[in-house]
Amino acid sequence: MGPLRIDPQKAMDEALRFNQRIAASFKTLRSLDEVDYGATAKEEIYREDKLVLYRFRGANKPTAKLPLLIVYALVNRPYMVDLQNDRSLVKNLLAMGEDVYLIDWGYPDQSDRYLTLDDYINGYIDRCVDAVAKHCKVGKINLLGICQGGAFSLCYASTHREKVKNLITMVTPVDFHTPDNMLSHWTRGMDVDLFVDTLGNVPADLMNWCYLTLKPVRLNQQKYIGLVDILDNKAELENFLRMEKWIFDSPDQAGEAFRQFIKDFYQANKLVNGGLKIGDKDVSLKNVTMPVLNIFAEQDHLVPPSASRPLKQLAGTKDYTELAFKGGHIGIYVSGRAQREVPGAIHDWLAART
Amino acid sequence: MSDEKSAQDWMADWQALQKQYWSAWQDATRNAAGAPDPATPWHEGFEQWARLFGDSGKQNETLDRLMAGAKGYMALMQSMIAAAGQNTGGADPKAWSEAMRQGFDMPGMDALLRGNPLAKMLRDIGGPGAQGIDQLSASFAPFLAQAKSEGLSWLHVPAFGYAREHQEHYQKMAAAFVEYQDAVSRYNALILKASQASFGIFEDKLAARDEPGRRIESPRALYDLWVDAAEEAYAQVALSDEFRKVYGDVVNAQMRVRAHVQAEVERIGTDLGMPTRTELNSVHKRLHEMRRAGKNGSDQRVAELEREVAALRSEVATLKRGRPTPATVAAHPKHKAVKAAKGRK
Repeated sequence: MGPLRIDPQKAMDEALRFNQRIAASFKTLRSLDEVDYGATAKEEIYREDKLVLYRFRGANKPTAKLPLLIVYALVNRPYMVDLQNDRSLVKNLLAMGEDVYLIDWGYPDQSDRYLTLDDYINGYIDRCVDAVAKHCKVGKINLLGICQGGAFSLCYASTHREKVKNLITMVTPVDFHTPDNMLSHWTRGMDVDLFVDTLGNVPADLMNWCYLTLKPVRLNQQKYIGLVDILDNKAELENFLRMEKWIFDSPDQAGEAFRQFIKDFYQANKLVNGGLKIGDKDVSLKNVTMPVLNIFAEQDHLVPPSASRPLKQLAGTKDYTELAFKGGHIGIYVSGRAQREVPGAIHDWLAART
Repeated sequence: MSDEKSAQDWMADWQALQKQYWSAWQDATRNAAGAPDPATPWHEGFEQWARLFGDSGKQNETLDRLMAGAKGYMALMQSMIAAAGQNTGGADPKAWSEAMRQGFDMPGMDALLRGNPLAKMLRDIGGPGAQGIDQLSASFAPFLAQAKSEGLSWLHVPAFGYAREHQEHYQKMAAAFVEYQDAVSRYNALILKASQASFGIFEDKLAARDEPGRRIESPRALYDLWVDAAEEAYAQVALSDEFRKVYGDVVNAQMRVRAHVQAEVERIGTDLGMPTRTELNSVHKRLHEMRRAGKNGSDQRVAELEREVAALRSEVATLKRGRPTPATVAAHPKHKAVKAAKGRK
C-alpha cells in the first residue's frame, strides 16, 4: 500500500488553489492599511536617556493595591505585551484591575555602547522602580520580568529585596547550560571579547539572523508557505504582518551589556554556578526571598522549559509557584489560549499575595 | 498612467496568463494519465508572476520571500505528484525521499546547493542588512582569490623597509581571510551533513506513516513531514560539540577579518584627517565613566543630606518639646560666643 495516498488530480487542484491565492495577494496586499500596534492608552511618567517608563490606562481605575512593573528584554521591542486589541497581556491585566507600568528601553546607538548591566539593572531598573513607587505612593512594587528582562529582574530582586513585594518571571532563562538550549550551545565557542570589541554594539540584523538559523526551514520557508493560506484574508494578513514587524523591529544591543550577559549568563552560567556580580553587588538567587511566580512555555525553542524550571530549586523563596503554558515563546503573549490563561493566572496569584 | 490603472492592467495580464497556463497544465495532466510533465515546471508560473511583478516595479522584500518559498514548494509538489502519478514511489519510502530530493533541485539553481536544501534555506535568510555566513564569505571572495592566486606562502614572508608595518598588516588581513574561508568550508560541510541526514529521517518518518489513518494524502502534508525531518536533522548537528566548535570558529574568524578591515579604514581616515571610531569610542567611554562617577557622587551627597535632615528633624522635635539637646547647645551661635569669651579670659 505505501505511506502515501496522494490523488494527482486533487494535488493538482491544491496547486491551483495555491496559485490562485498568490494571485489574490496582489489585491489584498495593496489594500492593507499601515500595520499599527499598541492597543492600550498610556502615559509617560519617567524618562532617562533613551528609556521611557509608561503607565497604561485602563477603562476603569485599578483596584490592585500595588503597581506591576513589566521589565522587558533588551533584544526585542516591548509592544509584544500590548500588540493589538484582542492580543494584549496589558489590556487583560488592566481589565482585571492591575495597575500596569512598562519600561521601554528604546533603540541604543553607538553612544550607548558602554552601558553595562550595572547601568541597566542597578541604574535604569532601580530608578524606574523608584519612579513607580513614588507615583503610586507605595514602598514596594510587584515586578514582572520577561525573557532577558526576567533574568534582569531576578538580579534586581536579589539585590533590592526591600523594593520588590512579588516577582513574576515569564519565559526566563535561569540555567543556560541545559542540553536542549541551542542558542547557549552556539555562544560557548564564541570569543565574545573579540566580538564586542569588533562590532561595538551588536547589530539587530545579526541577532535576527542568528534567531532564524535556530530553525531555518520552519522560520524561513514553511512559515511563508503557510502565509499563502491567508493571503486572501485581510484581517489575518494584518495580524501576520504585525507579528512580522515585531519579529524584525529589533534594537541593536549595547556592546558592554551584551559582553557581560553572554560571558556571565550564557557562558559561565553564573545564576546557577554562583559568582555573579552586577556592579558592586553580589547576586545570589538565594536572596530572592519574596513570592515568585515562574511562567514558561512548553514549546519554547529560545528559552526551553528546562532552562526556566531550575528557579524552583535555586530561589530562596518559600512561596514558589510554577505555570507551564502550552505554547511557544511568542504564543505565550499572542495566542488565544494565552489571552484566556496567562493574565488571569497572574492576577489571581498577585491578588492572593497583596 | 496612474498607479491604480497600471495595477489593474497588471492584474488582467496576470489572470489571463494564469488561466492559459493552468488550462494547458490540466490538459497535460489528463493526457499523461495524471502525471505532471517535468518539461513544464510548475514553478514557471511563479517565474512569470515574478517577471510581471518585477516589470511593474512593485517587487519588495515580502514578495521576494513569498515567491522564494512558493517556487520551492511548487517544484517540490510537482516532483512528488509526478512520483505519485507514475507510481514510482510505491511503498518504498526511499523512492519518495529521492523524489523529494529531486524536487529541491530546481532548474537553474546554484550547483553548490543541489542535494543540500538546508544550505539553500540558510542562504535565503540573507537580505538587505542581514548577511549570513554565506553572503559574507562571498563578499570576501575577491580578496581570497587574490591571496590564493599569489600563493599563501607570501603571508609569512618577513616584512622590512619603510612600508614594513603596512605590509605586515596586509599579510595579517589576508591570513585572516584565508582562515575565515576555511572555517566557512567546515561549517558548510556540517550543513551538508544535516541535509543528507534529513532525507534518511524523512524516510523513517514516512515509513512510520504506513498504517491506516496515518497515511499522507496531500502534498502539503508531505512537505510538512519533510520540514519536521529537516529540522530534526539540523538540530542534531547544531547541538553537537563539533558544530559548537565550528560555529565559534566561523564567528571568531569573521570578527578577526572585520577587525582588520576596520583598522585599515581607520588608517585611511586618519591620513585624511577624518574622525575615527576609536576616537568616538574613547569619548563615549569617558562620558559614561564621568556620568557614573557623577551619579555615585551625587548619590552619596544625597545620602549625607538625608542623614543631616533626619538629625535636624530630630533636634527640631526635641526643641519643640522644650528640652535642649547637647548637640544644639554646643552648636548654637550664642553658646559658641559665650564659650569664646570665656576662653579669652
